[in-house]
Amino acid sequence: MKKTTLIFALLISGASVFAQKRTTTSGTISFDATTSLDALPRAENKTVVAALDPKTGGIAFEAIIKSFSFVNPMMQGHFNSVNWLDSDKFPTATFKGKITNLAAVNFSKDGTYPAEVSGDLTIHGVTKTISTKGTIVVTGKMISATAAFVVKVDDYGITGKAIEAGKVNKEPKVSVAVSFN
Amino acid sequence: MVISKTRRKNILIAVLLIALAGGGVLWYLFTEKFGDTRKEKADYTMSAQDLIAEFKKSDSLANKKYAERMIEVTGIVTAVEPADTTVNIKMADSTGSYVIFAFQQQHLANARRVKAGDSLSVKGSCSGGAYSEILETEYITFKRCAISK
Repeated sequence: MKKTTLIFALLISGASVFAQKRTTTSGTISFDATTSLDALPRAENKTVVAALDPKTGGIAFEAIIKSFSFVNPMMQGHFNSVNWLDSDKFPTATFKGKITNLAAVNFSKDGTYPAEVSGDLTIHGVTKTISTKGTIVVTGKMISATAAFVVKVDDYGITGKAIEAGKVNKEPKVSVAVSFN
Repeated sequence: MVISKTRRKNILIAVLLIALAGGGVLWYLFTEKFGDTRKEKADYTMSAQDLIAEFKKSDSLANKKYAERMIEVTGIVTAVEPADTTVNIKMADSTGSYVIFAFQQQHLANARRVKAGDSLSVKGSCSGGAYSEILETEYITFKRCAISK
C-alpha cells in the first residue's frame, strides 16, 4: 500500500516537472492605431503576464490596460476613458488559447517554427474568438514567441468621436513578443 | 445696427486672439509629452512590501488610490527581467505577489546595471494592480520609471 502511494506520488511529481507551464511577467504587447490624420494613438505594455504549456500548446496572456504607455498624456487619457477602453471598469485584457498546429513545433529542438494560435481575446469586457499566425523560436531552454494581428475595435464595443472621425485606425495592428527563460 | 469701423476692427482682433489661443492650447495638448519621471514629484513614497500588502487586501480600493499616481517605491530587487529589447525590475513578497517596473527610455541604462538583491528606490507611474489567474498572485505594474536611489 505504502509502495503504491510512493510510486503514485513520484508519478505525479514527475509529470508536473515534464508538463511544467512556462510563465513570464515581462511580455510585451504594443499596438499601432495611427492614421494619416493622427500619429499619437500608439502604445506599448511591457509588463504583460503570459504562460505557455509546451505539452498541451496552451497559451494565455493577462495585460493591465493602464500599463499601456503612450508618449502623449492626452491620448493616454482618451485611451483609458469611459468612451474607449474604460479601464476603471475593465482593468485587464486577457487571451486564452492554444497552438493549433502543435505537432509542427518541437520545443525540445532548437529552431524557428511557424505557429498557428486560436483562442478567446477579451478586451473592454467583450470576448471574441481570434486566430493568428506567429513564430516560435526555441534556443536551448529559452522559448520566444512573436505574433502580430489586427483587432477590430468595433467588435469590442470601442467607439468615440475621434475613432469615427478617422483619427484612430479602427483595425489597429497589435504585436506580441514574449520570452520564457 | 451700425457698427463703427473701430468697433469692427476690435471685434476682429478679439476673434483672432481667441482663435490663436485656442490653437495654441490644442497645439500644446497634441504635442505634449510625458516629462522626465526623475523631475516629477512623488504622490506617495512607500515600501514595495506595503504597496503589495495594500493591493492584496483590496485591489479595487488600492487601484482607486494609486492608479496613475507617481509613486516612489523602495525595496529589494528580486529579479531583473528582459522585456523584448528592454529590462524590467521586480520586487516580490514571500508569496510571489510582486510589483514590476518598466522604465523610461532615458533611464534604461541605469536599470540594466541593477542586480537581484540590490536595495533600490524606483519612481514611476503606477498602472494599478490585478489578481493574475495565470500566476495565482497579485501583481502591480508601473510604467515610465526611473531609479531614484
